[in-house]
Amino acid sequence: MIKTLAQKELVSARRDKRFVLLGAIIVLLLMVAAVSGVVSYNQLSAERTMAQHAADHDFKSQPARHPHRMAHYGSYAFRPKSSLSFFDFGLDTYTGTMVFMEAHQQNSANFSAVQQSGGLLRFGEMTVAFVLQWLIPLLIIFLTFNTFTQEKEQETLKVLLSQGLTVAQIAKAKLQGYAQALALIIVPALLVASLLLLLANGLSADADFLLRLLIFLTAYLVYFFIFLAGSILISALNQHSRSALLLLLGIWIMACVIMPKVTANWGSLLYQTPTKAEMDATVHHAASHGMNGHDPQDKRTAEFTKGLLAKYHVDSVSQLPVNIDGLVMAEGEAYSSKVYAQEFDKLADTYHRQSSVSEWAGLLNPYLAIRYVSMALAGTDAAHYVHFLKAAEDYRYRLAQHLNHLHATQLHYHDKETRLDASNWKNYPAFTYHEPSVAWALGRHLVSVVALLLWGGLLYFFFTRLITQYFTL
Amino acid sequence: MAFVLEAKNLSKNYQDKQALKPLNLQLQPGEIYSLLGPNGAGKSTTINLFLGFIAPTGGMALINNLEVAQHPVEIKRYLAYIPEQVVLYPNLSGFENLSLLSSLAGFNYDADLLNGFLLRSGLPAEAINMRTGAYSKGMRQKVGIAAALAKRAKVLLLDEPTSGLDPKASNEFSELLLQLSAEGTAVFMATHDIFRAREVSSRIGIMKAGQLVHQLSSNELDAHQLEKLYLNYMHD
Repeated sequence: MIKTLAQKELVSARRDKRFVLLGAIIVLLLMVAAVSGVVSYNQLSAERTMAQHAADHDFKSQPARHPHRMAHYGSYAFRPKSSLSFFDFGLDTYTGTMVFMEAHQQNSANFSAVQQSGGLLRFGEMTVAFVLQWLIPLLIIFLTFNTFTQEKEQETLKVLLSQGLTVAQIAKAKLQGYAQALALIIVPALLVASLLLLLANGLSADADFLLRLLIFLTAYLVYFFIFLAGSILISALNQHSRSALLLLLGIWIMACVIMPKVTANWGSLLYQTPTKAEMDATVHHAASHGMNGHDPQDKRTAEFTKGLLAKYHVDSVSQLPVNIDGLVMAEGEAYSSKVYAQEFDKLADTYHRQSSVSEWAGLLNPYLAIRYVSMALAGTDAAHYVHFLKAAEDYRYRLAQHLNHLHATQLHYHDKETRLDASNWKNYPAFTYHEPSVAWALGRHLVSVVALLLWGGLLYFFFTRLITQYFTL
Repeated sequence: MAFVLEAKNLSKNYQDKQALKPLNLQLQPGEIYSLLGPNGAGKSTTINLFLGFIAPTGGMALINNLEVAQHPVEIKRYLAYIPEQVVLYPNLSGFENLSLLSSLAGFNYDADLLNGFLLRSGLPAEAINMRTGAYSKGMRQKVGIAAALAKRAKVLLLDEPTSGLDPKASNEFSELLLQLSAEGTAVFMATHDIFRAREVSSRIGIMKAGQLVHQLSSNELDAHQLEKLYLNYMHD
């Protein structure tokens, strides 16, 4: 019975001009978003790879130099585009893409897309995620808002019921039929988008990438199910198509437009972040309690020198078996890095608290839940950005300390003339960034994952029960 | 005598309003019963009680000796229902609508049989595969009758079946009802159409303010006397 009725819903939907027109528009938008996304992904990936190679080449091509000159010469870390990022740009548009890595200084990431583009970006971008998160729920609403109400208004529902079907059976059939109709639009479009993604990656895909893609698609299926079951439920519990449509559109506006802005603003109000200038001043002030490798009059440097002389039982720094200049640089770097790491962790924690307001709101609003899950899987959320910044800072610190070590062990005290061989930096491994695993990514958004599953599970559980209990003809 | 449709002190209240006062009624196989009455008299409420769409406040409705409230799904096997507007699924053809309805009722007929039901109900052959969005009410009603035939229903419930039909379609419809009756199907219809009711019914009931105020067999009065009687009740 359910299968027969589901088949009728599918046939009716396919013959419905609204569905055909809206479906065609959605497919077109998905294709445009996927193609423009993959073009942008290819271009940005190529640019960043080329820029990273150029920066690495420049660093490795430096001639014989004093190691501290090399520490200030520095290098660059370019954030590689995550494979799935063209599905969901997430925060990528607003976050920096390049970090200049030098001694004593932790620079912020620069050159975000929004910095380099015109005001049009303020209107949002056409991404696959935008179509999936905003437009497909609208398609579902327009497709299903009158699925029960029209049958009530035209009394076909009574005819169906008089055939011996229960309301629960009709509801399940409608769910099944509309799911099949939606699949006709979404599945081919997503398959093409996935194929483009694989092609963009040169048809090479590791297990983590495939797992991300699989979970990404599954998460969206759960999201669509929530809207589909919810829309059919509301249609069943309303008497008139107009009231069902108004209610569903109201829910969509609240879920997709108003609530995300309210929760984001609320998060910012509750947990305020310092400006960049305030952050720099805080780090600078805290770091001033440590040694400064460039200030020989510094009291802490004097104490460190005294301790070192005592350790090696010598009277002057020139008698030390190591170059104290390099050691002071290393100590100063370690201290300032520790201070920076502490302040950065505080800042990252504040960002996390801000977004956690929206994440917890995902328990009330599945749009917020899918947004975080989608960004996490695409590698474009704040957690992935922070992960990159930490990887860049870790590399910067190791590079600076490597050069300080060369300074301390291969040069004499106050020797500013000797140049170390170019092989010292030529052979130093270049910066490479490895995206964290899918488990790490989802682990940062467990609330959203649970919210999405809860919404899906509870709607599945209550779908026919609520309809049976509260349905009136 | 076995009754295929029976009301035993069947009543329905909506809050303070008594939509149906205790009703006692029996229909035998092949009988056609017309329930006359103005809007709001309780005719549709009675039909909805027999369909199990609303629960009775008192008494019971029975279809084929099964209490409707106790067996809401089982009783549907024995009845067919055609609402006033007979809106079929407009994106499906008459054939597809019939195929759907008979499948849902548990009958999987081949195409020849389905076409046979449609032709027998009077649907023109060229309309069978047209989408029903383009059908007239008379044509949609014929698909409804075909569905009742396909379901082999023992009871046919009709709500204002002739309203909006032209005289030719109305006449064709009456003939179909008489055919069904001859085959043993009991028909229970709510209607305003005194003349058509007089023409096809075995019995006629007049309902006013939720109460069955008069019952008579159709051969007791001619159409004009019936109209006079009906109008008298309406003016009381």
